[in-house]
Parts: sequence; C-alpha cells; structure tokens
Amino acid sequence: MARKRERLEVIRDILRVIQEKREIKPTRLLYSSNLSPQMFKDYVSELKKKGFIQDFEDKKGKKFFKLNKKGFDFLQEYKMIENFVENFGL
Amino acid sequence: MYEWLIENKELLKLFYGLFIGIICLIIVLRSDKIFRLSLHQGVRYFRNAFLFFGIAFAVRYFVGFIIYQGYVPAEIFSYSKMVFEFFIIMAGFFIFYSLIWKQVERSSEPFFSSILNPCILIFYLMTIIFITLDSIWGGYTAMFFSQIFLFTFAAGISFTKFLEKRRRKFLKFYFTAMALTLIAWTINALAVLLFRLNDGIIINTYILNLIVFLLFLYGVMDITRK
Repeated sequence: MARKRERLEVIRDILRVIQEKREIKPTRLLYSSNLSPQMFKDYVSELKKKGFIQDFEDKKGKKFFKLNKKGFDFLQEYKMIENFVENFGL
Repeated sequence: MYEWLIENKELLKLFYGLFIGIICLIIVLRSDKIFRLSLHQGVRYFRNAFLFFGIAFAVRYFVGFIIYQGYVPAEIFSYSKMVFEFFIIMAGFFIFYSLIWKQVERSSEPFFSSILNPCILIFYLMTIIFITLDSIWGGYTAMFFSQIFLFTFAAGISFTKFLEKRRRKFLKFYFTAMALTLIAWTINALAVLLFRLNDGIIINTYILNLIVFLLFLYGVMDITRK
C-alpha cells in the first residue's frame, strides 16, 4: 500500500503540476493531485491565501491556476524546507 | 580549571549571555528564511522560540554588563529578573507549541499572528502567573517547575516523532537536545533550590546549556546550508 503523503509533499505535488503546465484548469489539477474534492479545495484555498498560486479567467471566462513567484521559490527550496520541518518535528 | 572558572564567574556569565544571544540570532535569521519561503506555522513558532531565548539572554548580557561596570541600582535586578524570566518561559512555551500546533490549528486556516493569538495569549497569562508567584516567593521556583514540566512533554513528543521517522537523522539530535534541556533545567533547579547555588553545579549547568544551544545551531546550519 502506498504511503500517505505528508502535507508538504501534497503542496509540492500541486505546485509542480502547475509549474509543468504553466496554466492549468481546476478539474485537471484536481485529477493530477490525487486528492478528494474537499481536500483539494482546502489545499488550493491555502495556497491562494499564502500567495503561492493565483487563479485567473481566460477570454472565454474559463478558470485557470498559475504559479506566483512565492510558489516558484517554494519549489526551488523544497528540499531544504522539507528537511527543516521533518527534522525538527514541526 | 574549576577554580579559574569560579574566580572569573561574573565575566564568564557576561560572555555566556552574549554567546547564546548570538547563537539565537543566527537560528532566528536562518529559520525566518525558511518561514518566509514556506509560510509554515511550525517553523514560525520555532523561530519565535529562539527570538525569545535571544531576547532573554541579551537582557541578561546588558544587565550583566552594567553590573560588571560597577553600576548596580537595586531596581535593575528585580526588573531584569522579571524580563529575563518572561522571555525564557515564553521561549519554552513556543518550543513546546511548535511541536503540537497541528493538533490545535488547522493547516489551511492557521492563526493570523504567531505572537498574539488565543493559544499564545494563554501562554502569556500563564507566564505572568509564574512570574508573579516567583516575585512573591522570591526565587525562580515557578519558572523551574514550568520549564521542567514543559520540556518533559517536549522531550516525550520529540522522542515519539523520532520513533515514527527514524530515517530523519536530526530528529535523534533534536530529541537529545530536548532531553539535555530537560536535564539542564532539572540540575539548575536542584542547584538553586537544594544546593544553594553551588558554583560547581552552576558551571556544569551553563556548559550543558551551551551544548544544547550549539546542538540547535548545528541542526539549523546543517539543514539550511546550500
């Protein structure tokens, strides 16, 4: 059985998917994140609140997510953040 | 060696305060960098803990410096004692809370402020009660017992986390640091309450404290170095 992902790993995975696609629709991101709709909603709202991602609408009025600078920085330093949080049991 | 240490006790205390203050400053700067990148509440409380430890030792250094210069107004003693006690006890609460915050706050909706929120306000209140008790009793009894109690739990929690994730090498050091802090507080309490400030015991406590802070510093530097 697969190990349950840590919170930081889930955040990393969501941000990575957005980074790879540059812009992504909410439903696609939900499928890629492997989360329940409620969990997905919680994570996305947390990431938006923290300024890691933002949503926008294209000309047709369709909603997309894209990464902000904070999100890029998080991915760049992910290993260090993960080590810090895990090693100090935070 | 001990004789020399005891002879130069006051001067050494001064450097001890300054040295631990500098260690705390480095830890605060490094952990603040991690917090700004991750906006992780646990990192935030960990940073606050060392900020409060740092302020406590900085206060101790400056008051020690004034005393060393020969200027000793009596009221400085009582006020600085209270300020030192306040920051030391709060630092202990922050360390403890950094380990349990997930059980209290929701990750998706953490408290807006890490210095003023309902949980931390309870800690402030408890700290003020401990300081008041110590002022009435004329010592550090309440502070010692609060810290022994807190670090018993903190050491227990970090040991459980170490057992859960043995692959994390620093969790072992972290548990060791917590256990050493608990031992240092216990010896300190015994030295003051039972052995009437025995110089030998006090010096050993200082050395133990220094080792603990160096352990924390080592961990933070090791993880945050590029």
